[in-house]
Amino acid sequence: MSTDYRISDLMTCVIANLLKDRETVFHGVSSQLPMVAMHLAKNMHAPNLVHLNIPGGVNPSSIKQSSFSSAGADLVDKSESYFPLDEIFDLSMRGKLDVAFLGGIQFDINGNVNASVIGDYNKPKVRLPGGAGSAVLIPTAKKAIIWRTKHDKRTFVKEVDFKTTRGNLWKIVTPLCVFVYKNGQLQLDSIHPHTTIEEVQENTAFPLIYDHITYTELPTKAQLQKLKIIDPYDYRSVEF
Amino acid sequence: MSKQLTLQEAVSSVANGSRLALGGNVLHRAPMAFVRELTRQKKKDLKLVKTAGAHDIDLLCAVDAVSVVDAGFVSYETVYGLPPHYRNSVQTGKVKANEHACYTVISALRGASTNVPFMPVNGLKYGDLIDKNDYFLVVEDPFTKEPVTLVRSIFPDVAIIHVHACDEEGNAIIEGPKYEDILMSRAAERVIITTEQILPSHAMKQYKDRIDIPGFLVSNIVKAPNGAKPTACYKKYDVDEKALRSFLKFKTQDEIYQWVDQYSNSDHSGKRRTFA
Repeated sequence: MSTDYRISDLMTCVIANLLKDRETVFHGVSSQLPMVAMHLAKNMHAPNLVHLNIPGGVNPSSIKQSSFSSAGADLVDKSESYFPLDEIFDLSMRGKLDVAFLGGIQFDINGNVNASVIGDYNKPKVRLPGGAGSAVLIPTAKKAIIWRTKHDKRTFVKEVDFKTTRGNLWKIVTPLCVFVYKNGQLQLDSIHPHTTIEEVQENTAFPLIYDHITYTELPTKAQLQKLKIIDPYDYRSVEF
Repeated sequence: MSKQLTLQEAVSSVANGSRLALGGNVLHRAPMAFVRELTRQKKKDLKLVKTAGAHDIDLLCAVDAVSVVDAGFVSYETVYGLPPHYRNSVQTGKVKANEHACYTVISALRGASTNVPFMPVNGLKYGDLIDKNDYFLVVEDPFTKEPVTLVRSIFPDVAIIHVHACDEEGNAIIEGPKYEDILMSRAAERVIITTEQILPSHAMKQYKDRIDIPGFLVSNIVKAPNGAKPTACYKKYDVDEKALRSFLKFKTQDEIYQWVDQYSNSDHSGKRRTFA
């Protein structure tokens, strides 16, 4: 256990701990934090994890050149083989993608994800980037993991403005807690050691569902040391 | 007749109102020289198709050249933030954003490449995208009677693809990731290639195993060295961070046209029909 960590380190380690050896795992664009988490898992407890990405580089040996992009050619340059986006989607449709990392701007207690608009779809107040692969991957990947570096009442809302998708959502990792999607509801899985249940509730617009409070595992010293090696330029913190 | 055109000639051949499939992905190998020339020639009512776009779509929206965008994702990468001009155009109703799921763009282009009117999509099962968009439809599978979602095929008039090298016939090689470019070349009515370099045909024969787009599919080629800048082109140049950051600060169309003009010499440098 270590206390010398930042929230980006904690989130990266939490996500790495969710990944298992031999799983096929995909991340998209603007996804540096999960990309680093995948490499952390691969370098620690999941050496045979299969790293899939948009440009199509299977298991890139290094992610150190992905300075501005998690969808760049460097991932192909350092890869074992080529398996591009269209094939990854097909793989997920066949039920053979284990984990997909996806984003989103709003989430509600029923597990709905909004990555599309704030306001009306045809005349939006805010046009968001769009769900990218979410609307087909969240229903078909075995486990969809969402990470979001903001945790406030505008993010965790009573009801999303627009339902981009729902489905096999498994976990949502935030700077304050981890949600798990169970029995059709977003439930509290664990809260991070630096927060309190009151703080999480104050920043969540729907009532938190939990039996008892569990604290998120802290990053280990070994994880933090490994992070310095695999992510020396701290891409995991670009969203902070 | 030679397929090689100047950038200005190639862009002139694109009619207002055309549906354009743009190659590359987000900040990688977007056909920016061609896109900038579209803005110089003040093209209007363009309908853009791409799984994930960024600067290309944002720039065309900034000069009101666009009426419809079919895409799964439009944004710069995390460090550059959201696309201000695209957002503004959609929020003010100038541009219709047809949100897809990336895969449904791929499926819609696959439909076009095999000339069928729609494609079934397995994964699109829930949510408002199906209800709000007329290009998605849930029907009963005639064989199993189960519900199945269809996406209407998208038939681009022109695919614009920036490549590393091609010969005079348009036999083209893309180094590194291909993104959806090969599919676009099969789905579009016409294919225009912009290229870092043009090789003589006898030289290209040595690389024939690596050709991604055969020349017979290609209508025209344009020599456009640095034609993806300020986006990245694998092994040639990385993203031009400074250029993107200055672009993202612009508020007026004048600023944007001036910025586009700074690229004119470079964009128009490939006009001579020489090998290099």
